[in-house]
Amino acid sequence: MTSAIRATFVCALVGICAVTPALAQGTPERAKVLRAAADALGMGRWSDIGGANTRLPGIDIVNTMELQGSGTSDMGGRQVKTEFHIALGYNPVAARIELTRTPDGGAAQHVIQTVRDTYAWNESEVGAGLVSGKGVATPAMAAVRERLLQVWMLPYGVVKAAYAAGDKAVVSTEAGATVITVPLSGQLAGITLKATLDAKNLINKVEARADNPALANLACTVEYSNYADHAEVLTDVQTPGRIVAKEGGRTVLDMTVKTWETNNPYLVFPVPPNVKAAPASTTSR
Amino acid sequence: MAVSRRVITTAAALCFATAAVFAQNPAPRTGPRTVNAPPKPTGTMPRAADGHPDLTGVWNGLGDNLNGVPNQIANNGIAIESETVARDLHSGQMVTVFPRLNNRPQNNEQAERAAALLRRSGSNRPIYKPEYWDMVKYNDHNANEEDPSNNCMPAGVPRGAIPSYIAQFPNHVMFVYPGQGGLIATQTMYRMIPTDGRKHTPLQELDGTYTGESIAHWDGDTLVVDSWGFNANTWFDQIGGYMHGENMHVIERFRRDGNTLTWTATVEDPDYLLEPWTTTPRVALLNPRPDAMLPESQPCSERDLAHIVTKEHH
Repeated sequence: MTSAIRATFVCALVGICAVTPALAQGTPERAKVLRAAADALGMGRWSDIGGANTRLPGIDIVNTMELQGSGTSDMGGRQVKTEFHIALGYNPVAARIELTRTPDGGAAQHVIQTVRDTYAWNESEVGAGLVSGKGVATPAMAAVRERLLQVWMLPYGVVKAAYAAGDKAVVSTEAGATVITVPLSGQLAGITLKATLDAKNLINKVEARADNPALANLACTVEYSNYADHAEVLTDVQTPGRIVAKEGGRTVLDMTVKTWETNNPYLVFPVPPNVKAAPASTTSR
Repeated sequence: MAVSRRVITTAAALCFATAAVFAQNPAPRTGPRTVNAPPKPTGTMPRAADGHPDLTGVWNGLGDNLNGVPNQIANNGIAIESETVARDLHSGQMVTVFPRLNNRPQNNEQAERAAALLRRSGSNRPIYKPEYWDMVKYNDHNANEEDPSNNCMPAGVPRGAIPSYIAQFPNHVMFVYPGQGGLIATQTMYRMIPTDGRKHTPLQELDGTYTGESIAHWDGDTLVVDSWGFNANTWFDQIGGYMHGENMHVIERFRRDGNTLTWTATVEDPDYLLEPWTTTPRVALLNPRPDAMLPESQPCSERDLAHIVTKEHH
């Protein structure tokens, strides 16, 4: 064996030895934790149709969801009674958040906040601005990040983001609890999510941390509890029964879920032409 | 409920078994397929005497279901390309793959819930006018009762998708879609489609039918089937509650490459849709046996519906 070959062999061996602990302790652990979190939520399914001929692996089946609930939300620094109706999807990433707020002694106020990819807009009615004469869609591009973040902060969003992040998703233990830390990308680059798992591997807390001071207004914490299958068409997808969001320790949303349909219902988020044409700097929210 | 599900599943299994025996599917694989990406073409493409591709044949070579097209996940647009890679064919978005952790088969309830989710997880959805969004959602939510094909009605066009058998003649093609008695409870359907250059009958002179009035022409090596004159009694996909009106216009494209047949359909319905919708391409494999025959259709007699007590889908 020449010295050059020997040196190469030694380097390769050292390299293997150096990499092996990481593979043994890091990657498998992350994979195991992510899989446990996904399984706890019921995200992965496989088909047994044609079982004699096929043996397909499972895939992530969470795409569109629709939930309704009641509780309170922040309105000008006050918590007011609120009815929630939220439609969302992950392919494409989108949401339509309908809030009906009734301040003490005041009239109900109804708002529809929508986001898809790089577009955000407010609708005077569901689907406004798509058909001439049917409602008004008002661009709200400044709200894109905030609205997208709400989709990614759901337990399913965290798991999807963690799988997509690959090695950048980190698994650790804090105060005896398993924690997944995921840097977001794209529109939400600069935001890191930290999700805490309970003993059943269900995500019970998600914190959004702004690595960039310019995004500090997006920092918040959402707590999830009372998981069950809250759908009328049962799917075994586990959904939270209560959601509490806090900013700076102050509760800004407290929702008790009534229904959470997970069977990929027909929910679409076409972008109205006037929103597509709007400049990104439109500041209405 | 449980009995009903068992009946459906048993019937499905019988259908698969029947198809396997009578359609003489080749299935020369060494083991179960672990991917469902569209098959790659092999072999040469035969041409008819007029020089056009010859589409004649039994197009159920994959044998996974009665239509011979890949597993229903791919039908809805998500292809599992390997044991670690899956992709939504419409959006291109990667989909996380979860390897199976054990070999235990799912029970009926697990299998049907999984199938319902898988078949609805793709991104390629027709965009209806907003006033119909709730109705489409209602249709799918209540598909057990509302789906016309659950009551032994013809699947219609474009839901029928790739016919199991095509016979090509100089001035027409014949499409045969065997009914799927126990599985999806649809009726056998056939279409005789002229390729002689004739034009459509004016729409207002047609009484709407399940398969409409179809005419076809060749666009290079692609057979283009143009249909209108439908009734409004069908949905235009297997899932989703995708209803339509009598002004629906469907353009299907069939392209043969070697032993594969790729199909897409574009649906125009100005009464219901915000924009035309094009299906995700489906690919069928030719049954390679020259003596391949279609099985007798399963008789369609819906007996389960009255016993279904939940809204779970199958």
